[in-house]
Amino acid sequence: MIRIGLMSAAHLHAHGYAEALRAVPDVKCVGIADDDQERGQSFAQQHELMHFESYEALLDARPDGIIICSENVYHAPLMKLAASAGVHIMTEKPFTTTLEDGLTALEACRNAQVKLMTAFPMRFNPPMREVKALMANGALGQVYTMNGTNQGQLPKRHRAWFVDKALAGGGAMMDHIVHLADIMRWYLSSEAVEVYAQSNRILYAHDANVETGGLVMITFANGVFATIDCSWSKPLAYPTWGGVTLDVIAEKGVVNINAFKQVFTVFNEIRVLPRCAYWGSDSDVGMVAEFVNAIREDREPSITGIDGLKATEIVIAAYHSAEMGQPVRLPL
Amino acid sequence: MTFRVGVIGTGSMGTAHAAAWMRTPAKLAGIYSPDSASLERNAAQTGAAIYHDLDKLMDAVDVVDICAPTHLHHEMIVKAASKGKHIICEKPLARHVSDAQDAIDQCRAAGVMLLVAHVVRFFPEYALAQQAVLAGEVGHVGVIRLSRCAYKPYRNDPTSWFHDRDKSGGIIIDLMIHDFDYARWVGGDVESVYARSIGARFDDAPIDHALAILTHKSGVLSHIEGGWSYPPPTFRTSFEIAGDRGLIEHPAESSAPVRIHMAETAPASMVAVPRSPLDEDPYTTEIKHFYHVLNGDITTPRVTAEDGLEALRIAEAAARSARTGRAVKVSEVSS
Repeated sequence: MIRIGLMSAAHLHAHGYAEALRAVPDVKCVGIADDDQERGQSFAQQHELMHFESYEALLDARPDGIIICSENVYHAPLMKLAASAGVHIMTEKPFTTTLEDGLTALEACRNAQVKLMTAFPMRFNPPMREVKALMANGALGQVYTMNGTNQGQLPKRHRAWFVDKALAGGGAMMDHIVHLADIMRWYLSSEAVEVYAQSNRILYAHDANVETGGLVMITFANGVFATIDCSWSKPLAYPTWGGVTLDVIAEKGVVNINAFKQVFTVFNEIRVLPRCAYWGSDSDVGMVAEFVNAIREDREPSITGIDGLKATEIVIAAYHSAEMGQPVRLPL
Repeated sequence: MTFRVGVIGTGSMGTAHAAAWMRTPAKLAGIYSPDSASLERNAAQTGAAIYHDLDKLMDAVDVVDICAPTHLHHEMIVKAASKGKHIICEKPLARHVSDAQDAIDQCRAAGVMLLVAHVVRFFPEYALAQQAVLAGEVGHVGVIRLSRCAYKPYRNDPTSWFHDRDKSGGIIIDLMIHDFDYARWVGGDVESVYARSIGARFDDAPIDHALAILTHKSGVLSHIEGGWSYPPPTFRTSFEIAGDRGLIEHPAESSAPVRIHMAETAPASMVAVPRSPLDEDPYTTEIKHFYHVLNGDITTPRVTAEDGLEALRIAEAAARSARTGRAVKVSEVSS
């Protein structure tokens, strides 16, 4: 039996992970701690979990691993805290909001010899995996370029801190670059060497003091160039939260991926907006299972802290570029 | 009033324009091409007189419609202007910004009208979306995404002028200029461009594809994708305009209300042209509009030669960016 604890329910994904933990065999969720006691208590009640009054109390219960779903800027201190207790870690994306935080967290985990995984669920999204397999067996030939979007509604609808720079570390770029940046690194097995970005604050301008629109172009060491549209450009009247798409343009053809296309639409007299019912596979289950299995089998998780840090580095470079108006070279 | 039109060129655009002129009160008086076979075929279809001499065609008409390869536009515009003829020119207005500016200057000096055929402004879905934005349906525009992907023109003919960057300008100047113009129509003037293309980064790639990020003076951002990368017969276009009060989405699938799945497919045309079943094709809508402009019924054309120049300026900035790897200010692309 592998015992997993939850650190903070600030990020909405904590709900998905709590459910996913029930779907993975031989796993027990030991409970949740949250610096917001009320939030932690209501989360514990909702998911029928033990509530701990502090992170230390949760760590004292000796879980094998913990999942961090705090506000972005607290990822690093919580990783260090868990590492000091010798507990394995999966942290919500973005890994950290600064490079310094990322490097010190990584070092703390290395020194404590705890496993460190970054929560990039898109690597467990079956449409994304299908194309990874196509590329791995050479079906596409050489890949030249990719065009990706990870757009969404203003996440403030779910959690106010997402649009608070002091807690989120930024806006749409901090929120929505890393998923596709990680997928691109994974697909290409190549690192980013240059990043260009532009951002603005026109969409949801009255609701956010952070950038809400952003376009990023990444150039990889192997010559491939790729864009990510990370904008919060879906209006509240949109029938879903947003989505992830990726076009891969290659020597032998083109692939269009719409990672959340597996929906049907419900129109009825109760709702003004149609409801899009997602029937595709739940990536959280595969991802949580990977974390648990890495602990069980005493091996590196397939997505590491380095992967998290590399995606964060692209985000930081994007902020630098947007400020300067010219591409920025990596590594920073 | 009726006037006489001469169409230069019998490629896909020359053919489309000639057919469109037949649906206006103007008289399609003649067509010219150095390619005798296609000239005779088009003449048979339209009943237009055949000209083997460009000067003689220009002398015989009131309006010259230039559908020749891009690198010939400038000298043909200048020649027609010197003969006092009004001119319609296929996009891009010229191969280089300096030539486009010179063409505009010469037409102004000669007192002739110069119109540029940026046909996307006449595609009903694009025109309607621009109107919706203008009417405030999405509020302040924040992010625009425009995509135009097909296969390489004359992909099996390496001698085609499309493949000669000096003549066509390649994918950024030839194809993406459509969406540079549309982005500017919807999002206003552009401050800077950053672009990457397969052609500028990979030698001997069988396809080309480019991505560009435009920063408009208003702060609006545009993502422009151009592809000569899909297998024939694909031609897919899509757009998305996000504003602070709403979003317009037009996925590629919406242009294809009919999907035909034949056991055996006919060979694709040499040059991909987007089409959707309509009572009137956008080329005819465009040419009818130009007819009314030339006839004086419409005083403000939907697209001007200056618009064509500015679209070319953005395209040249994008091509420069793809070559140098730097973001390029559009104002640095001087006339």
